[in-house]
Formats: sequence, structure tokens, C-alpha cells
Amino acid sequence: MDEMQNNSDSVFQDICGFLEQYNRNKIEITGSTDLNSDLNIDSVAAMDIIMEVEDRYDIDIPINLVADMRTVDDLVSAVQKQKEAG
Amino acid sequence: MTRSTITTNEDLPLRVGEFETLAEGLDYAARGQTGCNFFSERGVLNRAMTYREIREEALDLAPRLVASGLERGSRVAVIAETRPEFFVFFFACQYAGIVPVPLPLSVNLGGRDAYVARLAAMMKRAAVSAAVASDDLIDMLRAAGQEAGIERVGTHEEFRAESAKNGFLRPLERQDPCYIQFSSGSTSLPRGVLVTQKAITSNARGIGQHGLALQPGDRATSWLPLYHDMGLVGFFLTPALAQVSIDYLATTTFARRPMLWLKILSEYGGTISFSPTFGYDLCLRRSANVDPAQFELSQWRVAGIGGEMVRASVLQGFAERFAESGFNPKAFLPSYGLAESTLAVSFTHLDTGLQLDHVDRESAALKGVAVPVSPHRDGAAASVRTFVKCGRVLPGHAVEIRDDDDSKLPERAIGRVCVQGPSLMQGYYSDLEATRAVITPDGWLDTGDLGYLVDGELVITGRSKDLIICNGRNIWPQDLEWAVEKLDGIRAGDVAAFALGDDEDSERVVLVVECRTPDPEAREALRRYVTAVVQKTAGVGCEVVLAPTRSLTFTSSGKLSRAAAKADFVAGRIRDVNEDLHTSQQESPVLAMAVGSD
Repeated sequence: MDEMQNNSDSVFQDICGFLEQYNRNKIEITGSTDLNSDLNIDSVAAMDIIMEVEDRYDIDIPINLVADMRTVDDLVSAVQKQKEAG
Repeated sequence: MTRSTITTNEDLPLRVGEFETLAEGLDYAARGQTGCNFFSERGVLNRAMTYREIREEALDLAPRLVASGLERGSRVAVIAETRPEFFVFFFACQYAGIVPVPLPLSVNLGGRDAYVARLAAMMKRAAVSAAVASDDLIDMLRAAGQEAGIERVGTHEEFRAESAKNGFLRPLERQDPCYIQFSSGSTSLPRGVLVTQKAITSNARGIGQHGLALQPGDRATSWLPLYHDMGLVGFFLTPALAQVSIDYLATTTFARRPMLWLKILSEYGGTISFSPTFGYDLCLRRSANVDPAQFELSQWRVAGIGGEMVRASVLQGFAERFAESGFNPKAFLPSYGLAESTLAVSFTHLDTGLQLDHVDRESAALKGVAVPVSPHRDGAAASVRTFVKCGRVLPGHAVEIRDDDDSKLPERAIGRVCVQGPSLMQGYYSDLEATRAVITPDGWLDTGDLGYLVDGELVITGRSKDLIICNGRNIWPQDLEWAVEKLDGIRAGDVAAFALGDDEDSERVVLVVECRTPDPEAREALRRYVTAVVQKTAGVGCEVVLAPTRSLTFTSSGKLSRAAAKADFVAGRIRDVNEDLHTSQQESPVLAMAVGSD
């Protein structure tokens, strides 16, 4: 359980790191940060993020998961889920 | 390793569009070995399916659809995913006498609710009897089915598992409809274009024989969405009616990795591929670390452009960037079309590249006349507007430029682009009022676009509707307005959405929102909510202008005037409440002219 927690923390840190480039208003990025309203992400940037995440973790993120990604936590848990699915 | 389908049938003569129904066309294509190839998200060939295999699977499925109780002429919704199941299902409907209704697959980050609502509205409008999707999307389709009161929603597998007992084939005949396409109208009031067998076969013939002059050796490559006319008609139905092999990349894959488009064109020898200007732009922007010499694009003889205003400078940039790949700028083939005319209306001549028309900006904006000028004259940047010619109308069709009183205008006069011919839709499905609004009593289609003719060639200058086009997608302003009006503290009629943008820039979306709260924090929160709701609804960024109440103008019949809102904003009459009233924003006369013309 602890290992999983650590794992998820490192994914979280990692993702917060590359989301910084979309953080135009320099807010503090937390799990509940809304990808749409708090960060500067349009549909093209969204595709960039998905690609970045897919390449970084060597996973595929299906479109139905994209539809449910509202916050940073949603993004992190989608990555976790796909990593576990292998 | 999967092997792709061959490019040209050796023992089957090429017959380009000489068919009267889709089923007849597939029956013929199935006698050869050409077909469709599906590439993965990493650009690896996953599945190759000959037209023969597609037909066999469609013939297996069709009697099951009939046996399951779907009546002749009933509609069935199918999410238009770029995968073999969609192709099989679409053709199974043709053999089962059912009208397929392809539905979109465009999901924004966190956009589940908006997508479900959109699907539900379309299914209701087309009064479908059933709906089908892949495992990936079935949850959202089921939710939409529940909202629309459609009970039969299933996966492709579930439909294939239906019993074929007492089933039989009853193909759609040449006087029958072919499919319903939703590409027009807003999300809340979608309009389904009813395309007949006559319209699709006429248009495919025009595209294949005339526009592209298909010949042995041609191979198509496409990442276009199959729920848009350019993808569905241009790169699924027309190739099937001409026995052309196609290589497919899913649209979402292209958006993430646009270089895969060029890679597949190179490796599989694609000769024909289309994109809105946006797609060429995306390649250009993502090619910073790419060596163009790794691609082989010299065989790409038709690099078509359609779907939005053709932007010459972007295309010229693409041609320069990929010159080393052997890309030939004469391959550029601008075209014009719309779903209401199945797909294509006009193509430029093959092998000529972009043909530009330079006109005086002021005469075009103020007098509605496209007066030709030299692009090299003094101050040309501000006073010259450059358009790309979109060619002559397809044989058997006609185009006229008309004024607001329906009178025909002479060459070089800017007016409403109207079209006539066998490719026209029968109408919007079950929406007589909307149909009457676009088809004149004498049978002409008012395209809603503005343009002029020069030597019989069509030039599109803009849209008479308020449509917003962003990254190649059509966005209806009312969709954005209605979504924002649902926010707390906002009332109906408080919001106007429009786009700013000149001939070269991509459009910039502006939301004017009348703001009642004087509290600065509440205002900033509102600004964030509006941005978020626009993102979720349409996946675009926007500029939010919080304006004082009564800033927006309404017509005498109580309709919001977006044109007035836009003009007021550009002229500085509508300003954000945060803007210091004393530091007056300089009005740009060039910008005012660029946006004030329509």
C-alpha cells in the first residue's frame, strides 16, 4: 500500500512538473486544480499533454478516460489505472 | 506483421464512381484485393481489410439487423470511429435497408457531460431505433441513449451476436436514402443532412472522375474524422466507389502525432490526401525536430485543402518545410464544399497549386466588389486582401452568386454562394423549416457562405452565418452562449460569442458577458468559470470580456445581434469593466475593416 502511495506521489509530482508550462497565472498546482479553468489548456494543448503522458509512462489513454479528466487528480489516477492495466 | 492491401487491382478494371448505390459499388470493389488499412496510435499497421472482407462481414451482419426487428428505412446511430467495425456496420445498414447515422467522436478534456448531451440530441433528432459504439465509448452512448429514450444501445459485438434466423437482405435501392450526417446546426438543435443514394453516387463520381481524376496507382491516406463530410465521403465512400486502397490514422492520433500522417504517406506511397489548412499548420508547428529528408512525398500528387478558409501563407510554409521530402507545391488542390451538397462543390485544376487573387481590401469590405490589385503596391500589407481560388463547380452542377433579393450577381461581386445539382441533400431530416431556410423554391441551396466568381472560379470570402471556425472545427456560438448562461448569476441574453480573425490568423474566440457584480473577486471568478465552461463545451480558449449590463444589442424581434456585438467590441464601444476608461484603446482601422465586412 505504501509503495502504491509513493508511486502515485511520484506520478503526481511528475505531472505537476510538466503542467507548469500551462500555468500562465502561476497558481499553486494541487490535486484539485481544474485543468480547464485554472490552467491554460485548449484542445490542442490537451492532446499534447495526453501524448506526453502516454510517452512518458508508455501507456495508452483511451478517449473515454479523457472525457472524465477534470482535475489534476483525475489525470494522475488515469495514469495509475493504465499503468496497472499494463 | 500485418500486410497492407495492394494499391491497384491487377485483374479488375478501375471503375470510378460508375454505380447507382453504395451496395453496388462495394459489390464491385469486393471482386478485387484493394481495401482499408488501420494504423495504431504509434503508426503501426494494425489491421488490413480488403473490400471483399468488409462486404463479407457486412453481409453477415445485415440479416441479423433485419431479424432483430429493425424496419426498412429505420435509422441506427453509429459512432464514427476510425476502425473496421464502423465500416462493416455502415455497409451492413446499406444491405439491410437501414439508414446509418454516424455520430461524432469528439471529446474534450473533462467533456463527458457535454458529449453525452450532444449525442442524445442527435439521436432524438434522427429518431433512431438503435445505437452502436465500441467498448471504449459504449458507457457514454448508453448514458446518451437513456437521455434520448433509446432503449437499444449496444456494442458492435452485441449486434453481431444477434440471431440471423429469419433474417434476409433488403439493400437500399437507388431511389432510397443513404445516410444522415450531422454537421450542421448547433448542439442543442442539431440538423441532420439526409443524403440520398443519388446524391452520394453523383458526388463520388464528380470527385473521383473530375476533381481528382483517379487513375490506377492512386492510393489514399486519411486522418480525417468519419463524422465529417470530408472524412466520410471523401475518404471512405468515394474510395470504396472507386476501388481505391486507403491508409487510416485515427483523428485523435493525428492530433497527438501529426508527423505520422507524413510517415504513412511516405511508407505506403499515398498519392491523395486532404486536410483543412489547420492540419498542414499542425505539421509545420510540430516539425521543429524533424528531418524532412526522412519522408518521401514526391508521389503525393493531390494534397487537397478544404473544410475551412484556405490560408495561403500556412500552405506555402508547409511546402517550403517539406521541399526536401520531395513535396511538390503544385500538388495543393484547394476545394470548396459542404455536407448539404454531400461533400464537394468545386475543385481547382489538378497540378496547378494555389491560385491567388489579390483584391483591394476596402472595396471588398465596403462596396462588396473584389477589385483586383497588385500585391506589390505601396502599403500592400494593409490594403490588399489575398484569397485562394477554389476552382470551378463539378460537371452537372451550377453555382451562382446572389444578392439578398436572390438576384444573380456579376463576376467579382461578393454575395451569397448558391449551388444546384444532383449532389444536393434531400433536406434536413425531419426539419422542414430548416430545410426551407436553405433551399430556395427553385431548388438552389444557399450555402451560407459569401464569395465571388472570377473567370468562373469560385472564391470564398467568409461566412454570412455567425459560425465560429477554430482549428478546423465548426463551433456554433449559441452552444457557447447557452453553456455560459447556465452559470450562477448569468441570465439568458447576457452573453454573446463571436470570433475575430483576419485572412491569415486562426480565429480568436471572444465571449462578451454582461456582468452584474461589482466585487472584483467575484468578477475574476466569473472570468475563470466562463473560460472553463467554454473549454469543456468546445475545447477552445477564449477571451472573456466582462461588460456592463445593456452592452449587447438585440434585433427588433428580440434576437441577439452577434454582428453588432462584434462591431461594438472592435470599435471599443464594448469594453471590459476592468479596463481603465481613460486609457482609451486605439481602434485599429484595418481590424475594423477585416471584421466589419460581414
